[in-house]
Amino acid sequence: MSVIERIASAPSELFELANVLLTTDAAAIGVTPREVVWTHRGTTLYRYRSSQRLHAVPLLLVFALINRPEIFDLRPGASLIEFLLKEGFDVFLVDWGVPDEEDADMGLEDYVCDELHWAVRETLRASGASELSLVGWCIGATLCAMYCGLEQPDDPRAAQSGEAVTPVRNLVLLTMPIDGRGSRYATWVGDEDFDVERVAEAWRVIPGGAVDFANKLLKPVSNFWTTYRRLADGIADGTFSRSSYQPMAKWIADNPPFPGRAWAQWIRMMYRDDALARGRVRLRGNRVDLARIDQNLLVVTAAADHIAPRAGTMPIFDLVSSEDVTHFDRPGGHIGLIAGSAAANDIWPELGDWLAERSDR
Amino acid sequence: MATRTNSRPPPAKQPDAPRVAGPTAGGRTAEREKPLYEQVESQTAIAFEELVSKPSFGRLLAMTGENVAALARIGSDSADLALRNLRLASRADMTRLARQLHRTEDKLERVLQEVEALRDQLASADTANHDSRRNGVDRP
Repeated sequence: MSVIERIASAPSELFELANVLLTTDAAAIGVTPREVVWTHRGTTLYRYRSSQRLHAVPLLLVFALINRPEIFDLRPGASLIEFLLKEGFDVFLVDWGVPDEEDADMGLEDYVCDELHWAVRETLRASGASELSLVGWCIGATLCAMYCGLEQPDDPRAAQSGEAVTPVRNLVLLTMPIDGRGSRYATWVGDEDFDVERVAEAWRVIPGGAVDFANKLLKPVSNFWTTYRRLADGIADGTFSRSSYQPMAKWIADNPPFPGRAWAQWIRMMYRDDALARGRVRLRGNRVDLARIDQNLLVVTAAADHIAPRAGTMPIFDLVSSEDVTHFDRPGGHIGLIAGSAAANDIWPELGDWLAERSDR
Repeated sequence: MATRTNSRPPPAKQPDAPRVAGPTAGGRTAEREKPLYEQVESQTAIAFEELVSKPSFGRLLAMTGENVAALARIGSDSADLALRNLRLASRADMTRLARQLHRTEDKLERVLQEVEALRDQLASADTANHDSRRNGVDRP
């Protein structure tokens, strides 16, 4: 293309670029049909409609407290949920909702001991199963691990055996942080001079935009410039796909606030004290001991994960007492590994096979 | 505990495709410029990533966060005060109301769980009674 041709096509390319950016919010995400099974506060448990259930053990998907769980069901043809339904799983999803100031007092114990615990209970009631598979991603994976490792002194079976008694048969942890002290976040918030409790108290709920800005600041040039430059290049050379770009861009831009108390607990636990790996986390007086995790365990790490670096996940293998432990270590990023364009052919079939082998009566 | 690690190396980088000479001088210039530009961009990205990894940047960011949070709180409290003096419901009032609703919902949820547990117990007791009666009748 000559310089004159490039100049001549620039206005239409700019126009299309503006159109893509301005209409991103209208992209449809999370469109797989589903029904509400249970709600409590902002939390909603969904069940996805399926006509071909082949496996007895249902799946409960749990996403992080930042961003929305629609990443599990991004768009038709690129939806993990759609794939799991085709594989014959009974799929449930817990959505933490969009917290507001009235949720500022929600801590990690509320998410693990109430919301997740009750979502598990309702999943079992709705499916009629006695066990389920718990699939957590990012902070959601850490919450799942905490749930499985939580002491349950009130449960007579637990008191008798000394082991965790949960209805979780299979535990899948996708790009999960356990020890964040080696990450870039720790450089930012790991210093005791940064008073997380004061910030949490002042802000009540940490605005989603602030969390998103911090996440993007991990790779500032890539996130604030290269993404848009590539988009413009794609439009210019005709390789741009609106249906691929817009759902992901919409999902990335949708950031719910983080309840202040849970945020402060997370910073302390993950980036300062290494409390989870050391077994020093207590939720409502009950200790979270990852050694209590004895479920069939699948851990997925991404080599280029800058949000939950692989090194921060690896301690899990020295902590759990599961007999059946599998580790998938793949090239890719924190989100791209599971929701990227290559995931449907790469990690999903492996994930589906792993679950299928362990999901029958 | 046996851990099966299934690791896959990143896909090998494909050798650069042979450059095809463009039809015009302008096209050739653009082709030459693009890799150069991408190189500069990737070096800038690395430099910025190093910059944000510095503890001093972390301190700056943390202080900025604290200041913004404090300013947001002052603004919010001032607005609430103004609204309250005008006898209008402020954000704080709505939050208090929402919290009360949450507490009520928490209690209802626990009551519901108790009711469901009792119903399950009754159902299993009924089944046991029914089975024992049937066994008693059927027994010769």
